[in-house]
Amino acid sequence: MKQTGLIFFPAFDWAISPTHPEREERLLYTRDQLFEEGVMDLPQIREYKSGLATHKDIARVHFCVPNVEAQITEAHLVSAGSALVIADAVMNQEIKNGFALVRPPGHHAMTVAHGNRGFCNINNEAIMVEYLRKQYGLRKIAIVDTDVHHGDGTQEIFWHDPDILFISFHQDGRTLYPGSGFTDELGGPQAYGTTINIPLPPNTNDAGIHYVLDHLVMPLLEEFEPELIVNSAGQDNHYSDPLANMAFSAQGYAVLNQKLAPDIAVLEGGYSVETALPYVNLGIIMAMAGIDYSNLREPDYSAARLAKKSVSQDYFDQIIKTQMANFRGREAKIQDYRRRFPDDYAYSQQIYYDTDGISEQQMVRLQMCGDCPGYRTIQSSARHSGWENYEVFCISVPMYSCPKCQEEGQRIYDEMIGKPGPFDYIYLQDRAHDVYRSMNTGRKVETVL
Amino acid sequence: MLIGIDVGGTFTDGVLLTGTKVAATVKRPTDNTDLKGTIMEVLDRLMAGQDSSRVTRVVLSTTLVTNMLATGNLPATALLLLPGPGLPLEVYQLFPNTFFLPGSIDFRGRVTEPVVPAEVESAADQIAARGIEKVAIAAKFSNRNSELERQVRDIINRRHPNLEVVLGSDIAGQLNFRRRLVTAYFSVMTQAVWERFIGEIAFALASRGIRAEVDILKADGGTMPLEVSGQRPCETVFSGPAASTMGAVALASNPRNSVIIDIGGTTSDISLLIDGEPLYASKGAKIQGHYTHIKAFSVCSLPLGGDSPLSVGDGEVRIGKTRLGEAACFGGLAPTVTDAFNQLYGLQIGDPGLSRQAVTVLADQAGMEAGVLCSRVENLVIAQLQQAITDMFREWEEEPAYRVWEVIHGRKFDFHEIVGIGAASAAIVPALARSMQVECTIPDFAAVANALGACVARPTLTVKVHIDTQNGYWVTDQEGRGGKVKTGTKMQMEEALNLARRNLKELALDRHMQDYADEAEFFLQEQFNVIRGWSTSGKIFDVGVQIAPGLIKDYQGVKR
Repeated sequence: MKQTGLIFFPAFDWAISPTHPEREERLLYTRDQLFEEGVMDLPQIREYKSGLATHKDIARVHFCVPNVEAQITEAHLVSAGSALVIADAVMNQEIKNGFALVRPPGHHAMTVAHGNRGFCNINNEAIMVEYLRKQYGLRKIAIVDTDVHHGDGTQEIFWHDPDILFISFHQDGRTLYPGSGFTDELGGPQAYGTTINIPLPPNTNDAGIHYVLDHLVMPLLEEFEPELIVNSAGQDNHYSDPLANMAFSAQGYAVLNQKLAPDIAVLEGGYSVETALPYVNLGIIMAMAGIDYSNLREPDYSAARLAKKSVSQDYFDQIIKTQMANFRGREAKIQDYRRRFPDDYAYSQQIYYDTDGISEQQMVRLQMCGDCPGYRTIQSSARHSGWENYEVFCISVPMYSCPKCQEEGQRIYDEMIGKPGPFDYIYLQDRAHDVYRSMNTGRKVETVL
Repeated sequence: MLIGIDVGGTFTDGVLLTGTKVAATVKRPTDNTDLKGTIMEVLDRLMAGQDSSRVTRVVLSTTLVTNMLATGNLPATALLLLPGPGLPLEVYQLFPNTFFLPGSIDFRGRVTEPVVPAEVESAADQIAARGIEKVAIAAKFSNRNSELERQVRDIINRRHPNLEVVLGSDIAGQLNFRRRLVTAYFSVMTQAVWERFIGEIAFALASRGIRAEVDILKADGGTMPLEVSGQRPCETVFSGPAASTMGAVALASNPRNSVIIDIGGTTSDISLLIDGEPLYASKGAKIQGHYTHIKAFSVCSLPLGGDSPLSVGDGEVRIGKTRLGEAACFGGLAPTVTDAFNQLYGLQIGDPGLSRQAVTVLADQAGMEAGVLCSRVENLVIAQLQQAITDMFREWEEEPAYRVWEVIHGRKFDFHEIVGIGAASAAIVPALARSMQVECTIPDFAAVANALGACVARPTLTVKVHIDTQNGYWVTDQEGRGGKVKTGTKMQMEEALNLARRNLKELALDRHMQDYADEAEFFLQEQFNVIRGWSTSGKIFDVGVQIAPGLIKDYQGVKR
């Protein structure tokens, strides 16, 4: 019998601030519940020790401004590193699946990192996905974000990547942070249709989420045929979460994980530290390990009360129809984009970092390559919380890019660092060669990871 | 005058220590059907010609409970469990006569579902009808609130006063319900036999005029007074390896990061000292394949010893696992591991000529030089021990950690010496240490280190206190002790530490180990702010304090 791997890393000595939801106490009661149940003694469970991600693992995904050191604490290295330990164990077939029950979380962190957004600095799942590709040659991976908040960071990171199917269901962005994740956010012109958002009305209960899972998420996964499924496992759809308004239960989460059968789950949000997390975490572990979870329930659980919180069936049917059509029509739409934008595709965007109060301006330009997803450049400027202003230029070359895009990315970098310009830093993220360059233009110092 | 006796599976060792002098040592075969008889025989031989009134302390390390649990000849015992919600009940269905009852507590010690008296009575009636006399009661989170366990006990006491009852919260108050129910179950099961045994021992000692303090060695390398042990029989399991480890601590001068190998006739027990402290098994002692809350040293046992017999087949040397007899150099018939090392290094153990002869006969059979054969034996032995040591290091280094600094700083076991004890260590351990490029220590009296370890081990006591100022209570993991604290956020760590220390002192007094209470050290100091809304509404403290394993104050080392 293959076991389920588990890393429990509660970071009992780390908090964003003393009374912040992301504080030492967050997984305290989860610890109590898991340890009292004797979960780590079960033959179905294999506990692993946390690991450390390297700065290179982070640079494979993020442009940290000005550098990796400035954007992370040691806790981030452990949290991301633990996901990598689980990933290794799954790939080496030591375990059948694994859960990185870790904090701090990451799914709001985007490609360029100027600071903390939505409690996140770096994106644990994205770092793990790019690590899996580099280390094990995986290509097609599905990430299902089950956090109540839209996984806008993960969405942005894989927006132009047709080999990553990113599905997020969450409380409707008109009623909750970060205010995005609508059905018309479907991916960039070369990766249209592999970003799928499922905004759910407040009060959606187990039945509602399971309906969407059965009739939309699972069919999408079946058609996409990923090599690996990742659950970006937030727990704040729970009826008791203080920051959201959904009606999901611990049993509901267990059913979800049994159906979804993720190869790897990574903890994201969830701030009902007493009434939800101990039970939801236990439920996820039991479902992944194939342990009967019928005896799992919250002390104040009332099926009747939650059943009352139902949402119109028409809403679900409509969104299922729309998103299935969007997914199935993706090839045609990409062809259409390629005709309309034969050379490149550019757009600007503004990104707000709520935790640190930073506003970032971006100009993105994507190479509309016919042979690969295309390299892209990002001009980014932001004033950090310490009042330093940063103007940076980033070049990102995908892992599975064509030689031409790889050469082009390198050429642009060489050209940019050779001439005077407005940028404080110029970065080259060459995933194809796994080399990450950063030029401090003021001091003419290049760092290579 | 101190006496230490360690009962092993095959032999029982005893030492008599007067000041820094080992006045007598005794080794006798163990009669597993009459442990008291064996102990008294060893004691009488140690005391031959001595004045029994001068004995100040007797420490026993016995296998009674270990044997009882291993042979399976055990009284029927019932388990009453209040598991509440969580894992499926089958996870806790480990033993026959298990009854599941309603009633549950959560991690904050709140009762979330009451006891149903009628169901308790019905279970008690069935237990009585089955002729069972022993009952263990365990509730999930009873370590945070023992109220439900006590209610169940009271109902049973009223209905069937003759039933012998043990509560999980009294015996095993740490987190982990599964280990708690296992520990409570085996405790109530072995308690009567153990109490009878210690009664007999006390009587036998008194009849010999020994009025000294009598202590029992525990798996955690510490002792407890005989009369205290009555309630906690399971803590005596696996005291043998603990005796050896404590013996090495006593005999080696100031060991820090060391590997201790006890090589006997048929087994090698390996334990680790980290910064001078013996390493504990992270999940507690295992009984009948189940983890328990009994603290025990982390020990790796290999079926490899000085008497392991050598044989040849297909041109390869093999080391057998079953002892056939003594080494050839001591008059045994077949060559053993000891003979190979004796020959290889000219160790002058027993009669080296007999070693040479036996090894040569075997080498001829295999068609190889005697020297080659001995080298191959050495390689096999060293490789096996080295692998076991490396695995233990890795396991320790890879133990999960829950704090950032622990993960960042990592763990690396840099050891500098191997301490060899047990009869066969002098032959094997020097070569092992050379191969691992560390120092080798084979102390004097290494052959009776186990009995000496028992003799000079000091009492141990561990208390963990959990304080919840939002809900206004504290509990300990010992005997269900608890009380109230003022609600709110005022309490500071200092106060929490004092509360823990006070509990330790009171328990130490109860258990006649107050002399060591001042040496207790804190090993756990955790504080969490309980935030509700955006403000602090209470604090949770977890504090652990212990009298760690160590040596008695009177011990000044031994001299030849």
